[in-house]
Amino acid sequence: MRVAFIGKGGAGKSAIAGTFARLLAQRGEPVLVIDSDPMPGLALSLGLPATDAGIPDEATVERAEDEDGPRFKLRPGLSASDAIELYAAVGPDGLRLLQFGKLREHVGALMRSQHAFHQIREELRSDRWHLVGDLPGGTRQPFFGWTQFASVVLVVIEPSEKGMLSGRRLARLADGEDAPQQILAVVNKARHPDDAARVEAGTGLQVVAVIPWDEQLADAERLGRAPIDAAPDAAAVRAVASLVDQLHTGALS
Amino acid sequence: MTVVADLEAGIGTLTRLGDAAVDIVVIVIEPTPKSMEVGTRAAVVAAEKGIARQVIVANRVRDAADLEVINAAFPGHEVVVVPDDRAIVEADRHGVAPLDMAPDAPAVRALSELAERLVPT
Amino acid sequence: MKIAVVGKGGSGKTTTSAVVARVLARNGATVVALDGDTNPNLGLSLGVGVDETERLVGMRQALDTADGEHATDWDSLLDAFGSDGPDGVRFAVVTQIDNPEPGCP
Repeated sequence: MRVAFIGKGGAGKSAIAGTFARLLAQRGEPVLVIDSDPMPGLALSLGLPATDAGIPDEATVERAEDEDGPRFKLRPGLSASDAIELYAAVGPDGLRLLQFGKLREHVGALMRSQHAFHQIREELRSDRWHLVGDLPGGTRQPFFGWTQFASVVLVVIEPSEKGMLSGRRLARLADGEDAPQQILAVVNKARHPDDAARVEAGTGLQVVAVIPWDEQLADAERLGRAPIDAAPDAAAVRAVASLVDQLHTGALS
Repeated sequence: MTVVADLEAGIGTLTRLGDAAVDIVVIVIEPTPKSMEVGTRAAVVAAEKGIARQVIVANRVRDAADLEVINAAFPGHEVVVVPDDRAIVEADRHGVAPLDMAPDAPAVRALSELAERLVPT
Repeated sequence: MKIAVVGKGGSGKTTTSAVVARVLARNGATVVALDGDTNPNLGLSLGVGVDETERLVGMRQALDTADGEHATDWDSLLDAFGSDGPDGVRFAVVTQIDNPEPGCP
């Protein structure tokens, strides 16, 4: 499967994506998590230490003057699979994490790594890895095509007006030329029984999972720990497990 | 004229500002490592830009432990505390301004006091 | 006086910006509130309502598509894209005065 998590900032994408990836990996599946957020966070939700490191310069060469294409490309002889072995961090349950790096200054500092990241992701449309992508909050990356690797796009939505407004905007991905096969809503931090219905009515998206507001997850966030490590039996974690079941068995494809 | 600019999440826009383009940077933090990490990076960029004043808003603070964690991450900074407040959640749920729905809620009062600190009358 | 509000997504920037803007206006200042997010929500926190919040963004996008040019001074931005919010706060969605390249993360 190839899944991308998008949504308004703060909706809980990283906590859910990280938990989703760990659960899938725990089932013995090869999972590659791809992190395109220039701000740190996802690693903690996966149970990995947070690092700034992106893909090193050695992975790419500069395009020759007479060549077409992006300014940097993977160096000859370096396949996407090789790059995963060399540059992706190994996490708990055998999952891998590939990030283009974290920013402390102007985004230009990550440009070369970003090129490598794009190309690796493009080349990896094969069956070797399940791809779980976590995108930064908001509409920027989704509207610029950063979800195109995914067959299923999951929009994480808090049951607030802001959340639903963001959900409506992101739902427009379904109208584009490169629309994903499926774009579905995951309601997060649900407190009321009618939250799912409200989100469906407010966004036009089908709700595929409802993750309840869970104090244990809030506590895990404060500790900087992965929900699946800090609170494996939490209701929210069980809800993500049920989401994994649905996608894994192809119930939704 | 007083301009209050709500920037895009992260530090990207901040890094693109000209030096000393703003008078005050208000850095909103929750007591989680993820949020504090973005905040500390923003503080570094703001200092490099020569922005005269930084004010940390410690948001959704539940208890003394939460506040301690934030103070530890921002020693020597001005820190204003905004308590965890269900009234804000409810206002957001309904898409209503917190100032209209719950003007006397603790978080709203704390934010009003923040305004007075930023630009004293 | 220019105040910029920053932080991780979901930390409370927009709520903070909105309350601060309106309280400063109530205290007598002429206040302009700017929403710099590509997913703008400040209108909701200010209290202009979801329809107006969506309308303003739509306006901005229509203008972007129309001529591809972006005003770069505050007055033009406010005239073209602004709206009147509660407590006399003038409010505009100004997503990136200089648009980043599409590949920009």
